[in-house]
Amino acid sequence: MTTIAPPADPRLAEGAPATGPDGSARLRATLWTLGVLGAVSTGATVWLGIWVTPPDKVQGNLVRLVYLHPGVAWVALYLAFGLAALASLLYLWPRTRSLVWDRLAAAAVEVGVVFTACTLISGSIWGRPTWGVWWAWDARLTSTAVLLVLFLGYLALRRVPAEPHVRARRSAFAALFAAVDVPIVHFSVLWWRTLHQGATVLNPTLSPEIHGSMAWTLLLGIVALTVDFAWMLVVRYRIGLLEDRLGAEELDRAIDARRAEGGAA
Amino acid sequence: MSTPPAGTAVAGPAATGTAAGAGPQAAGTGPVPARRFRLRYAVVGCVLAGALMFLLAEGLGSSLNYYIPVAQAVHQRASLGSSHFRLEGVVEPGSVRDTSEGVDFTVTGGGVAVPVVATDSPPQLFQANIPVVLDGHFAGSTFAADQIIVKHSSQYIAAHPNRVRAPNGSVR
Repeated sequence: MTTIAPPADPRLAEGAPATGPDGSARLRATLWTLGVLGAVSTGATVWLGIWVTPPDKVQGNLVRLVYLHPGVAWVALYLAFGLAALASLLYLWPRTRSLVWDRLAAAAVEVGVVFTACTLISGSIWGRPTWGVWWAWDARLTSTAVLLVLFLGYLALRRVPAEPHVRARRSAFAALFAAVDVPIVHFSVLWWRTLHQGATVLNPTLSPEIHGSMAWTLLLGIVALTVDFAWMLVVRYRIGLLEDRLGAEELDRAIDARRAEGGAA
Repeated sequence: MSTPPAGTAVAGPAATGTAAGAGPQAAGTGPVPARRFRLRYAVVGCVLAGALMFLLAEGLGSSLNYYIPVAQAVHQRASLGSSHFRLEGVVEPGSVRDTSEGVDFTVTGGGVAVPVVATDSPPQLFQANIPVVLDGHFAGSTFAADQIIVKHSSQYIAAHPNRVRAPNGSVR
């Protein structure tokens, strides 16, 4: 990612690696490191969460989903959609306008949508034995479901054919609009009476209500899922970059073909 | 050959339709009717957004709250009548009695107690001193519930594996 070859298409001028479709050696090393770190830390979380940590006083063994569910939600809401909103702002800001931010936002949203779906699924699986119901239309669950739909809408909007900068601008506004729901999801348990319990760690007084090995495993789970997210983000960003370059190359080829036809006639 | 949408689409994206966004175009090229058109769009958009927020706030209002706490429900008993709502309270220790149809118990909260007749098999975490959300209605002085939902807290406390008996009777 250090040298930039003169690009064939000015729309792709930013951030195009000159080292071919396989990416640079440094990128590959980063991906390998992130992948190994993510796999090891996720594996350690599962091991600690299932075999090492004690059962909960009230929930018994049902508590073990706490090492997964909040971490997945953390990645979806704050990392993925937070990053998408930030990248969208950076795109819209004229001084920092670059398709790099657009591509980053798209990659973050796509990973975030997967993590949001996993949040809803893991929460539902946790809710059935603890609450007694798979789903409840309380403010936390409903606003999270709305968040998933909003960002699915963002991904659908990106599929609408448009010139790259038109699509980027449109998408950036959509991402900022959808991101308004993120603080609503976060504060829903404080603003309204919900079936979902309040925050265990990020509560108003910031006094964690979980201790010892349970707390450390929870923290490790959050770190592990953060690393997993980073790995997925880099992979997805690279795919987006290759897709854009392929599209530009095909366009050039089509234009050349038409020109050749014109010359022959 | 790619046609950059000069001026119209690129110059004003940071602030759609506002006077500030239209400013740079006033240098001479921007057609006035287009600007007025965009301003009109912005006004209509703002009005629609405002109306939507108002409708959401009015319509959702208290329904964003999933339940009514016992003390508040008792206070509003006259207006609640026999309407359906969700009641939240803590299961009073020693009040739980299994019946042929479900379970009877008392919920407390805010210094108020309400006897409950539930026609639902309780969830596995149902136990004394746990908060529950009950779907049902007032029937005289009691609350007739057709669904019991357990509302567990955000606290996670390690159980001593040799000492704790789980709600379902198994020793952990």
